[in-house]
Formats: sequence, structure tokens, C-alpha cells
Amino acid sequence: MISQKKAPYLVIAALFALGILMPFVIKKYHLNMLTEIIVFALYAVSYNLLLGYAGLLSFGHAMFFGMGAFTVAVSLIHIPGLSIWNAVLIALVLTTAVGFITGGFLLRHKGAYFALLTLAFNSLFYAVATKWHKITGGDDGLSITRPDLHLGFTTIKMAALTNFYYVTLVVLGAAIVFCWYFTKTAMGQTVLLMRENEERMKFLGYNTNISRLILFTFTGALAGLAGAFYTLHFQFVSQSAISVDMTTTVLLMTFVGGTGTFWGPILGAFVYIIVQNYLSDITDRWPLFMGLIFILMVLLIPGGLSQIILSIRDLFSGKRRAGKQAAAEEPSS
Amino acid sequence: MTEYLQVQDIHKDFSGLKVLTGVNFAVREKKRHAIIGPNGAGKTTLFNIISGRFRASSGSILFRGQDISAKPAHVLNRQGVSRSFQITNVFQELTVLENIRSGVRSRNGMRYNFFRKPGNHPRISERTEAIAEEVGLKEVMHMPVNALSYGQQRALEIAITLSTEPELILLDEPTAGMTREETSQAIRMIDRVTAGRTLVIIEHDMDVVFSLADTISVLHYGKILVSDTPDLIRNDQRVKDAYLGEE
Amino acid sequence: MQMSEVPVFFLHGLAYAGLLFLVSAGLTLVFGMMNVLNFAHAAMYMLGAYFSFTLLQATGRFWLCLLICPLLLFIIGALVERFLLRRVHAYGHLHELLLTFGLAYIITELVKLIWGNFPLATNIGGFLGGTVEIFGMIYPIYRIFIFVCAVVVGLTMAAILYKTRLGIILRAAVNDSEMVNALGFNVPLVFTGVFAFGAALSGLAGVIAGPLLTTYPGMAHEILIDAFVVIVVGGFGSLGGAVVASLLIGELQSFGVLLFPKLSLALVYMLMAAVLIIKPSGLFGEKQ
Repeated sequence: MISQKKAPYLVIAALFALGILMPFVIKKYHLNMLTEIIVFALYAVSYNLLLGYAGLLSFGHAMFFGMGAFTVAVSLIHIPGLSIWNAVLIALVLTTAVGFITGGFLLRHKGAYFALLTLAFNSLFYAVATKWHKITGGDDGLSITRPDLHLGFTTIKMAALTNFYYVTLVVLGAAIVFCWYFTKTAMGQTVLLMRENEERMKFLGYNTNISRLILFTFTGALAGLAGAFYTLHFQFVSQSAISVDMTTTVLLMTFVGGTGTFWGPILGAFVYIIVQNYLSDITDRWPLFMGLIFILMVLLIPGGLSQIILSIRDLFSGKRRAGKQAAAEEPSS
Repeated sequence: MTEYLQVQDIHKDFSGLKVLTGVNFAVREKKRHAIIGPNGAGKTTLFNIISGRFRASSGSILFRGQDISAKPAHVLNRQGVSRSFQITNVFQELTVLENIRSGVRSRNGMRYNFFRKPGNHPRISERTEAIAEEVGLKEVMHMPVNALSYGQQRALEIAITLSTEPELILLDEPTAGMTREETSQAIRMIDRVTAGRTLVIIEHDMDVVFSLADTISVLHYGKILVSDTPDLIRNDQRVKDAYLGEE
Repeated sequence: MQMSEVPVFFLHGLAYAGLLFLVSAGLTLVFGMMNVLNFAHAAMYMLGAYFSFTLLQATGRFWLCLLICPLLLFIIGALVERFLLRRVHAYGHLHELLLTFGLAYIITELVKLIWGNFPLATNIGGFLGGTVEIFGMIYPIYRIFIFVCAVVVGLTMAAILYKTRLGIILRAAVNDSEMVNALGFNVPLVFTGVFAFGAALSGLAGVIAGPLLTTYPGMAHEILIDAFVVIVVGGFGSLGGAVVASLLIGELQSFGVLLFPKLSLALVYMLMAAVLIIKPSGLFGEKQ
């Protein structure tokens, strides 16, 4: 019998194995979609660290996603010969810095004030990106070509979708796994304390302001990483990447997937992109469909799809694992 | 020479409502001091000020000779001050173990670490279990808070207060809402866990007060009426007058 | 810029301030009283504009729109509060925010579905569409009308809040809703009423804004940010703050476009940032 402790690692290994096999099993078109899903999965996971784990509703996450996206494009265009790693690194460094600075302003407030401020900031960033069209390409956006990956002993051509898919799988996959691991670390547990009882934390020696800033900067950096790969994937970026719509998108993905589990947002990204792909052929108003699902979830199934799946699983296993499992609806381990 | 904990002329004014109008008392190291008084006298407000939740309007608090009046709660906790809450104030969705461990790992420098798991640290696990045992919650360590009885939750409240290894413990009505039986157990437990440390306790239950306290202050509508030993307080006319109709 | 142009821009600023006040007054009241930040508020503003457009097309009478559309929004607001918001109240503030956000999203999509995803020109003829001579120039009456509307509404609200029994109950509920409940007043009903009234006010603003700013699906977002800045600057829950902040921002937008065209967009945000740093609870807000 597989022990409880080992099970998650096996699942991760299995998923990676599956991921490696994908290019041989599915069509190019679907591989393209899968790459996009991985990008948004990281974006959503980072968002859920704020929303589901820390209880912070931010309407500005696209600030970091967009920053990462634009930084990669702008650096690749203006620095000839820049390697793919360095482009991503620059994006990461910049996003972390911006996360730290904006966090300093935004996190002075809680709850609705915070949400509203992040919305205003996101709008500001979008306005700046639009005005600066000399750098950001304005409505036309910026096009780039993926630089080839030089690994010393060999060069991998990044123009090929399959190669880029593998890089995405490894890099972003590792990032997602690290996020999962993070939830079990001391800082990850501290994040939970923030959601549960921020007041009490202070009386246990925790500096709550610093805690929130660390988390906000961390999730911002992760979103920036996702944004960087977004540009690399589409080889194009426009101001939509830093728009409030882009925040709305990740909010929908995360919530519909379910904020109560680690994998909920990943599922949400998957479902959202698939639905978008197939519904957008049928109607221009597919966002309405997503919106309706969202509202239904908010009203009836606040745990999202993952809540539904867990309930079905409980039903089949005859509710054997009552007590701790049932009680711990919020992610706690 | 100032005492271990010296509360000097504390005033607290909430937008015109004067809750504390000049509180003075001192507590000696490793002694147990009780604060009693009618509801609304300002006892919890006093604790809030001592523990750094908010600042006094005027006056000062000296802890080990140092002025701590302006220090925030988390700094005070790291300096060895810990308080409990009258209304159980724990981490609802976490287990008993995780609740206690939050304080233990804070004390052991594992607050913001991105790479280490608290569960993998032998010293932290040891201390957490030890504290759970001290308050009688070892059997239910893995249960979530909402599965505990009221008495157990109050025990957890105290456990969390202890988890940061404080030298000055402030307990706010720890036995509130308890039965006779639970209260007796609680007294024994408090006696045990505060041994060798300094305790300031707010209580309404006189049995608890007279079992534990070395000295007592009576807080009466924002001012200390009298501070003395239990026997003298018991026979003090002013105290009897103030409590006429109370019990 | 000519000196002679200053009055025009000043009047423009007043008109926009009037509009901002109409939008933010309801928002700040709902937030101050119920601690719910209604993201759908701006969506209701938009609905007001669209309903008005259709009604105007059908009847050609603007005054009818001014009367009926806010009423429609009142009903919608009441239904939303009673059947949706209240349901989610038990789950906490986060959930309420998510609900209002979701509503805003759906309403926007429905509007695009029903009326199309492009701007609609709303033309009012008649007296309001005309001009008048003021300060030696020709000025559109409509903008003066907006300002007058805002003043009338503002004074009415102030009168109700400070001179009537209902007003006392409302102001008490802002401070301590539990107490008011304990005193025997039907607080849930009060909340429904306030929310509905906020929606109606927003709808009225939408009706008025349509002819001025054009009616299009993005109008909600456009005014939302400015309205939020108004209540941040003015202080959450403060009606007086909303007045002062609206004037400040209205004039800032008006002169800003003229004096600092490159920065105009950022000016408003900078004001908000300044307020947040110096006095986070807003000019007239309560310290949290």
C-alpha cells in the first residue's frame, strides 16, 4: 500500500512522465494549447497562494504577469544576442522589485480597501503601458522570436513547438512543484496563519506586515515568470497582458477550479482554456458562460470544481475518511 | 528600583470614553498577580495595552526596567511577554498540533523560512508535544479546533499562549464559561504551567483568584482601588462595598 | 491657455464632478453602512445608461428616462441584495466582493450580448440639448443640468440623513448596525433599501452620463476607477468627503488634460497615492 507521505511525489512523477509523452500522443494544435495551459496554471497557482491560502483578494495580479511578459519582449528586442535564460531572469528580477515596492503601498490596507487599491494600480499600469507605446508597442504589441537554447554541449532550436513545450514543462512545472512544496514549509504555514487569524499571529511573535510583503513579492515574481513564458509562447505581447481583464481571467480560473486545494487552480486553468477554445468558435460571448459558472460557484459551490470532485470521491469511498479530512476544507497541508 | 512589571499611571481614552483613568501597580518576578473587578472596569483594555495591542493615552509600562509602552505586539512577544484572550482566539481550521506549533516555531526562528518544514524539526515537534501534554491535549493533537469541547478550546488558548516560551504570562479570564470540575482542573494546570514564570491573571472566579494569587489588584472603573495580599483584600471594606451585589 | 478659457474648464470640471458625485455617493453609503464594496455598482450605472438609451429611442422623452430607469435599477438592486448578496453574507466579506465582482462581469457581458459591443450615441434634443450664454461664451446647457442634478440629489440626501428620523436610523446603522437591530429596527430591510437606493442613484448617473460620455460597454470600468478614487480620497462612508473629493477630481481631470496632457491619466492616481500615504482613511473618513 502506498503510504500517504509518498503518494503526492508519485503523482508528481506520473504527471511529469505523462507530460513527457504528450508530444508523441497529441496533435500539434493541442500541444500548443497544453503549453498555454501550463503557463496559466502557474499564474493561477501563484494567484491562489494569495487568495486561497492567505485570504487576500487582489485585483492587480496582471501587473506582475504583464510586467514579466513585457520585460521579456522589450529585453529581447533591445538587447541583441540576449539568451532566453537571461531574458527570463531580467523579467524575474524586475517583477520581484516591482512586487516589493507596490506591496509596500498596497498592503497597508486590508480586505475591500486592498482589493480596490490593487484594481486602481492595475489600471494605472495598464494606462502607463498604453501611453508608452514607443516601448510597449501600444495597440500593435511587440513581436519576438524565441532565441535558441544554448546548453554548452548542444543547441536546442526554440522555434520548434515541441522543444519549447519541454522547456515550459520543466521550468514552469518545477516552479509549480516548488509552490506545492512551499505550502508545507514554515513560510507556507505562516501564510495560512494570515488567513486564519492575523491578529493572533502578532501575539506569537510574527511581524504580519513583513509576512504579507514576503508573500506578495513571492507571488508577484511567480506571476512574472508565467508572464515571461506567455510572451515566449505566443512570441507576441500586447497591453492586454497587463490589463485588468488578465487579472479577471486568473481570478475566474482560480475560483472556478477551487481555492480550497492546491491543484484546484491548475484544473481551473485547464478548464478555462479548453472552454475558451471550443466555445469561442461558437459564440463571441463565451465569457458570459464563464461568468455564469463563476456566479453559480460563488452562490452554491464556493469550493469550485475541486470541491465537487472531492465530494464525488468521498461519496465513492463511502466517506471513510471523515473527521479530519472533512473538517479540513481549506488547504492546510 | 522598579519592579519586574511596573504599570505607571496608565490612562486610556477611546474617543471621549475614558476607560482607564490612572492605573498603577507592580508585579514582582516569578510572582502571581490577579486583577479583579466588575465587568467593563477596563481589565482587558489594560492587558491590550501591556501586550502591545494598542498604546495607552498616557502613562508607561516598564518591563524589567525597560519602557515597553510603544512596542508593538510581535516585538513584545519576542521579548518574553505572552497573553491569552478572553474569547478563544485560535486558528480555527488548523489542528491542535498546528496551532501550538505556530508559536513554538516562531520562538525557534522558523517564521519565514521558504525551505524547511516545521514538521521535520525534532526540537519543534518535541516542544509542541510537550506543551500539548502539559495542558492535557495530547490525545487530541491531530484534531481540528472545531472538533474540540469548550474546555479543550480554552486549554488550547492557554497552550498557544505558552508556546512562545514566555517569562511573563498574561491570562485573560482563562476559566470563563467553565464548569466547577473544569475550573478545578484548569487551576491545577495553570499552577503547573506557570511555575517559575511570572503570571498576571484577570479573573471573576474568586476560587481561582484565591488559589493562585500572591497579590491582587482591584480595578474599579478605570482605577486601581487597592492592591494587596489576598487576605487583606478579602477583608477590605472598600472592596466589599464595590462588590456589593456582585457575589 | 487663455485666461478666458478658464471658466469653461472650470464648468466642465463641475459637470464631471457632479457625475462623479452621483456615482460615488451611493457607493460610499453602501460601503460605510454594510461594509460591502459593490463592484457591481458601476455595472448598474451602465445599465442605467443602456436602459435610458432604449427608452429614449422608444419614446423620445428624456424626462421619462430620468424617472423610470432609476426605478428599474432600484428594483434590480433590491432583488440583488435580498436574494444574492444576503445569501453569500454568511461566507464572509471576501465572498461578498466576489459576488459583486461576478455580477459586474455578467452584466457587462449581457449588455454586450443585447446591445452590442460598440458605442451608442445618445442624442437628446429639446431644451437640454441646447446652449446658453454664460461668462461671455456659449456653453451647453446639459452640463449645467448635470451639476444641478447632482446638487439637488446631494441636498436631498443630506436633508434625509440629517433632518429625518429615517436619517438618524441610517447614520446609526453606519456606526453600529447590531445596536440598531437590538433597538428593534428591521436592519435587513434597511440594508436592502440602502443598497437599492445606491443602485438607483448609480442608474440615474448612468442615464445622465449617456449623452455626455457615450454609451458603451467599457463605461462601467472607466467611471469605476474614478469613483473609487473619489471614495478613497473622500473617505469611506463619508458623504461630505464624496462631495469634496468629486469636486477635487472633477477639476483635476478637467484642468489636468489641459495643463499636463502627458500626465493627466496619472494625476488622479497620484492624488490617490498621496492621500493613502498621508491620511489613509481619506480626507473625511474614520480611522480604521
